[in-house]
Amino acid sequence: MRLVMLGLAALLSLMLLAACGGGDGDGQAGGGNAPESVLRDVIDRGVLHCGVKGSQPGFSYLEPDGTFTGFDVEFCKAIAAAVLEDADAVEYLSVASASRFELLAAQEIDVLIRTTTVTAERDAGRGVDFAPTTFYTGQSFAVHADSGIFSTADMDGITICVQSATTTEQNLDDLFAELGYSYVPLGGEDQENQDAFIAGRCDAWTGDQSNLASRISQLPNAADFRVINEIISKEPLAPGVLDYDNAWKDVITWVVYGLINAEELGVTQSNVAAWSEDPPNTAVARLLGVPFEGGEVADLGFDVDPQFIQRALRAVGNYGEIYERTVARVGIARAGTLNALYTEGGIIYAPPYR
Amino acid sequence: MATHAPQPPAGLPEPPEVPLVYQRRIRDLLIQALYVAVTALVIAYVVLQLGGREYGFGFLNQPASFDVGNQWLTNIDGTTNSRFTMYLVGVWSTIRVVVLAIALSTVFGILIGVARLSSNWLVSRLAMLFVETFRNAPLFVQIVLWYAVVLFGLPTIQNVINVGDFLFLSNRGIAIPWTVPDGGFWGGPDWMVGVWVAALFAAGGLAFWVRRRRQTAERETGKVQYPNRWALGLFAALALASFILLGMPVAIDRPIVEGTTYAEGMAIYPEFAALLLGLVVYTSAFVAEIVRGSIQALPRGQTEAASAIGLTAYQRLTTVILPQALRQIIPSVTNQYLNVSKNSSLASGVSYFDLFFVANIIQNKIGHAVEVFLLITVTYMLMSLVISLIMNYINRRVTLHSV
Repeated sequence: MRLVMLGLAALLSLMLLAACGGGDGDGQAGGGNAPESVLRDVIDRGVLHCGVKGSQPGFSYLEPDGTFTGFDVEFCKAIAAAVLEDADAVEYLSVASASRFELLAAQEIDVLIRTTTVTAERDAGRGVDFAPTTFYTGQSFAVHADSGIFSTADMDGITICVQSATTTEQNLDDLFAELGYSYVPLGGEDQENQDAFIAGRCDAWTGDQSNLASRISQLPNAADFRVINEIISKEPLAPGVLDYDNAWKDVITWVVYGLINAEELGVTQSNVAAWSEDPPNTAVARLLGVPFEGGEVADLGFDVDPQFIQRALRAVGNYGEIYERTVARVGIARAGTLNALYTEGGIIYAPPYR
Repeated sequence: MATHAPQPPAGLPEPPEVPLVYQRRIRDLLIQALYVAVTALVIAYVVLQLGGREYGFGFLNQPASFDVGNQWLTNIDGTTNSRFTMYLVGVWSTIRVVVLAIALSTVFGILIGVARLSSNWLVSRLAMLFVETFRNAPLFVQIVLWYAVVLFGLPTIQNVINVGDFLFLSNRGIAIPWTVPDGGFWGGPDWMVGVWVAALFAAGGLAFWVRRRRQTAERETGKVQYPNRWALGLFAALALASFILLGMPVAIDRPIVEGTTYAEGMAIYPEFAALLLGLVVYTSAFVAEIVRGSIQALPRGQTEAASAIGLTAYQRLTTVILPQALRQIIPSVTNQYLNVSKNSSLASGVSYFDLFFVANIIQNKIGHAVEVFLLITVTYMLMSLVISLIMNYINRRVTLHSV
């Protein structure tokens, strides 16, 4: 009896050890340099986990009916269509700015499309790799329409609502150090800042100009506020993926470039079906992954089939169409800004697809 | 912990043999071995998971590049100062709110706890309503409620409520008069206020000594010597005398509204006020229950005896009931104080730059989560240890001095 009990106890502890040890091994495989690409995970899973903001009208916004809409969301859909052949095979996660990189590192999200600014520190130090910039904006300030603040020169000593742990916060600090002004920061998440600003708790609310404009445009008393006509920083917003995953990053990079090239080449959501049957030229044929006048389909070496950009275009249309459907709707015009095509005075430019 | 197993008296049958795992010694050994094994595995797991990273606290010495609001008596900007300095600013913000919350919740807790035992039906029911409301709603909800509903509900600074140029209320905070060092009518330098503070300390010491003497005399002769009145009176007289002698080195500064900010006086920002209110109200409810329970744990005879010898209700409470109840109160209330220090980390919910908020900003900017959270943990532990040390000291005094 005694021996049996002792043996049982020993067995139990061994099992515990084994269980812990097993967990250990799994963790290592996931945590180290992933030998498997996220691309494979996504295809196996059949659904894309897309990290978005979820609270910024025009970029990613959770509608009352539970669907997500916006510029960033369209790119999630484009990637899902390209990789999974289904633009709706996306699970959106509203992520906080403070935890976005951790969620990416933990592979809770496959791709981060959350109005995230590309910076050297993030690229080099935070384990993030950035796809091409999808939107160029810059930091500005929203103020109350009846305030006497028209530029940063009028801002000495004021209280400023600023999202903490963002590039915005750092730009603000740099700017005021340069101006030799003082200010009182009030840091919260985006929505909290908006509430505090509207309530009059802070004199100015700083953030990406596109964000401020789109949020103010949604307010019932939008006329009580204005965004000053001064930009204090460069904020190129780009999708982020995990470092060291070229197969996955290549696909996302070229979905973005593909949608830009499509606009330049005149491929739209309405003509993509017809042009896939009968492409007008070789450039369009290559982009859509179809043969030109009985030739071969060009295989450029992606880990997905050559028609992935065609599928993205069928799902969401080209870059310009996405812009008109989302960002333009919240009152941010495109013409004359950096986000116009390079042929129209902007800097939206994609390397050739060949 | 060695105990002698009782030997069965001779002649009785041998007790049945106990299986090994039921034997205390073996079972303890097994549990300990298991504990060590699990701990070792957890550590090994963490080390393996984090193996590839670089460690070290060097990143704390780099410039912070962010600013911290809600500072009090300090104005440290993050442009040139290091991340660690900004962290210390956060620690100072935490200490400020914790010390005030502990002091205020003690006062209100005792008042409400005693009120719950009042024979006045309305008073005791109101106290009960207070306790049951604020004890049973989550603290975070309460803090956000104070912030978003109560304090943001105040008018904007353009429509500030002005109470006799003395008190200003708006959603930019509450501005109250505050002291400023002043040359006074001798036209002396600003450091005269320091001299006065030193004089106050001396007066306090003297008052304390007089109180001791009178207490001793009271105990020995049995005659009433009013030790507290004497001590307070002496302190007030000395304070006033030195204040006038030094030429009134402190002036009261009334707040004014300048543009959209408060100038002069003291501005209590909504973020700080909401956190403090939340902590005080929540903790008071718990302290009140501890006070009530500790008083009710005393034999009823104590109250009755005190009444029988003709003490007033106030004397009964301060000389008979509370001194005895304190022995119950202090250990329980220490736990509440520790909770206050830890609950103060909810500050980030209302954008108050406490140590946790600042540390989070640092961690979000640069990573090093392991080091940052180690730093946070150690800071809170130190704070808890200091509170425990102080409370243990007070507890020892209370148990020694009561008869």
